Amino acid sequence: MRKFLGKSVAVGAIAMLALTACGSGRDEGSSGSGSGDAKGFPANSLIGVALPAKTSENWVLAGDLFTNGLKEAGFQADVQYAGASTTVADQQAQITAMVTKGAKVIVIGATDAAQLSTQVAAAHQAGAKVIAYDRLILNTPDVDYYVAFDNFKVGQLQGQALLDGMKAKKPNGPYNIELFSGSPDDNNSKVFFEGAMSVLKPEIDKGNVVVASGQTDIKQTAIQGWKAEGAQARMDQLLTSTYGNKELDGVLSPNDTLARAIITSVKGAGKPIPVVSGQDSEVESVKSIMAGEQYMTINKDTRNLVKQTIEMVKALQAGNTPQVNDTKSYNNGAKVVDTYLLPPVAVTKANAAEAYANDPKLAPLTK
Amino acid sequence: MSRLKDLQKNLFGGTTSNARQFGMIFTLVAIVVLFQILTDGLTLRSDNLIALFQQNSYILILAIGMLMVIVAGHIDLSVGSVAAFTGILVAKSMADWNLPWPVAILFGLAIGAVIGAWQGFWVAYIGVPAFIVTLAGMLLFRGGNQFIGNANTIPVPEGFRVIGSGFLPETGPNTGYNNLTLLLGLAGCIAVVWRELHARRVRREMNAEPIPMWISILRMAVMVGVLVFVTLRFASGRVGTSFPVSGIILVALVLAYSFYTRNTAGGRHIYAVGGNSRAAELSGVKLKRVNFYVMMNMSILAALAGMIFVARSAASGPQDGNGWELDAIAAVFIGGAAVSGGIGTISGSIVGGLVMAVLNNGLQLMGVGADRVQIIKGLVLLLAVALDVYNKRQGRFSVIGSITRTFRRDTPTAPPSSSGAEREPAKTPVAG
Repeated sequence: MRKFLGKSVAVGAIAMLALTACGSGRDEGSSGSGSGDAKGFPANSLIGVALPAKTSENWVLAGDLFTNGLKEAGFQADVQYAGASTTVADQQAQITAMVTKGAKVIVIGATDAAQLSTQVAAAHQAGAKVIAYDRLILNTPDVDYYVAFDNFKVGQLQGQALLDGMKAKKPNGPYNIELFSGSPDDNNSKVFFEGAMSVLKPEIDKGNVVVASGQTDIKQTAIQGWKAEGAQARMDQLLTSTYGNKELDGVLSPNDTLARAIITSVKGAGKPIPVVSGQDSEVESVKSIMAGEQYMTINKDTRNLVKQTIEMVKALQAGNTPQVNDTKSYNNGAKVVDTYLLPPVAVTKANAAEAYANDPKLAPLTK
Repeated sequence: MSRLKDLQKNLFGGTTSNARQFGMIFTLVAIVVLFQILTDGLTLRSDNLIALFQQNSYILILAIGMLMVIVAGHIDLSVGSVAAFTGILVAKSMADWNLPWPVAILFGLAIGAVIGAWQGFWVAYIGVPAFIVTLAGMLLFRGGNQFIGNANTIPVPEGFRVIGSGFLPETGPNTGYNNLTLLLGLAGCIAVVWRELHARRVRREMNAEPIPMWISILRMAVMVGVLVFVTLRFASGRVGTSFPVSGIILVALVLAYSFYTRNTAGGRHIYAVGGNSRAAELSGVKLKRVNFYVMMNMSILAALAGMIFVARSAASGPQDGNGWELDAIAAVFIGGAAVSGGIGTISGSIVGGLVMAVLNNGLQLMGVGADRVQIIKGLVLLLAVALDVYNKRQGRFSVIGSITRTFRRDTPTAPPSSSGAEREPAKTPVAG
């Protein structure tokens, strides 16, 4: 037995040594990812874009815009969507593949914002820059920039539009309103709600606006999973419990899907449609606004967001620091990420034609 | 006996052979070479190989357990949910109760064992089909994951992440390589050579027909060559990287379970139960116990896989585990297991899993979208299994059967002692 062991050790060792000798040295890792700013990179470099699964029109549009926009700017674009079933694992693998292919900048619309730290760390070690697109990547120091719409501003615009709309219908208060907020597992839900409350709270305190059901806590107003049927059910219950003989003047809704569900519920109860806010400029809601049902929505033009992101990539390519306008607000748990916030636009029937003039899908609806 | 047949018979599988599995090994090599060319050499670059193992170790670990479940004639649909449920509990235990991470890992394995015992109880002792029990488990533990996690993503501490994204430390003299990876590779080479010499010695002692020396040397050279190549690839990655820790866990499990299923009575009982459970029971196999432990073992491995994924993702999230059962089951079937049970090997399943992994990785490197990748993977699964079924229908009792028959025609000249060792039951071909 020992003889065999001896022989095998010898053969193994010789083989190893023989082949070790002709191997090459190793790459010493990142060539200083932190100091990469000053240098830039070749203009035809590969830019990776990792987006979530194709579950909403917005992401598909963003992917097309990135593919075309990056090509126009002279880059090679690698735009990937996560698969429908194994989203997080897919996105992790796609980002790793982009790093392997030598992408200089990786733009990530995260599927799960907290499950990418290993991959972005690998990207940084390979010298790539990481831009978080629309969703901030959490708990990692390896995010360089964040680009998104100003979601607090979205909430403020919704709150303000609600007040304006109610005033236009009925010059004097007090107004009865109800509050809805988004899914509790979505980080943005809270931001929208707080933005809206920053406008509504002073009016509520003055007594000019009354939340008749008394449900003002975000836990009470939240709709799990942003589901339309959830909003419809809650509105049904509110109408039964509170508005038997009261008039409902306005409803704060965080997005268009919920807004339409709320309107459906009110119609079903045979009540006049109140002023309802929204967000996302969904086709059905734009139609609803033009028909005078939903009062407002928010236009967060994906074109502008993608354009801004590509501007950042161009700046990095030239070796400049990309333009940011917020270096304080967005702490991802490991660091404060330099952010470029785009302003959202409030759209009502009055300014719809102007707001969607450049949108080939929505513009015809406003005519 | 021609030299070619000698080679066929002896190079890869010792005394018995499994043509489907060889087929998959060649397919794997072909796919690797294909993508190596198509991606301009990215596929076999160190960082990509490391990523490949890190990305797929948890699926391959699931495939080990799934192989045993499928060989025993069952199926487990709950692995993804069990992994997610364990993941969220382990992440919570560290975040809320401040469990140290090694304790949390044991805690996770214990959860897996409890869940496994629960499912095993229903399957083995009540007699509910495993498909139903694990379908229920899939809902139960997915719901449990959401109930406990509230759809939140919970980060895990740095130490815990080692099992998913960690590497071996850099120690010893500067050789231009990761020294510990080199040592692992050396150990692998020694093991290969020792096993070959040992096998020769055993055959000599049993007065069996010795394998020609040139075949032994060729076999050793191929295996050592592959090992050395792979070792150097893993060892020459960026400084700070090595053969990944999750890969080491996987290799250790593959070795241990391969030995168990091939060389121990307990392991053979699983094949017996899957081949013909009545006959196995009448031969004294404790049917219930085998079924119970196979199901329990699967859940423990699912718990481990869940923890490795959470460690790699640095957080436990609500999407964890979605669709994993399908990846694991696909790996097992591509690797040559039979839907009816009783046939299949651990190494085959790993090769099947690697075929899927390399396909996935290569297509991603080429920039093919996830939609088309899924379509291609679906077709590969279908074709791999269809090929074997088609061959059976042609009256050739599957590729496996036809190959072993040509060997048998050769063997009557061999001494009875050796042919007795070779003539394993038709339903249990195992690579040596």
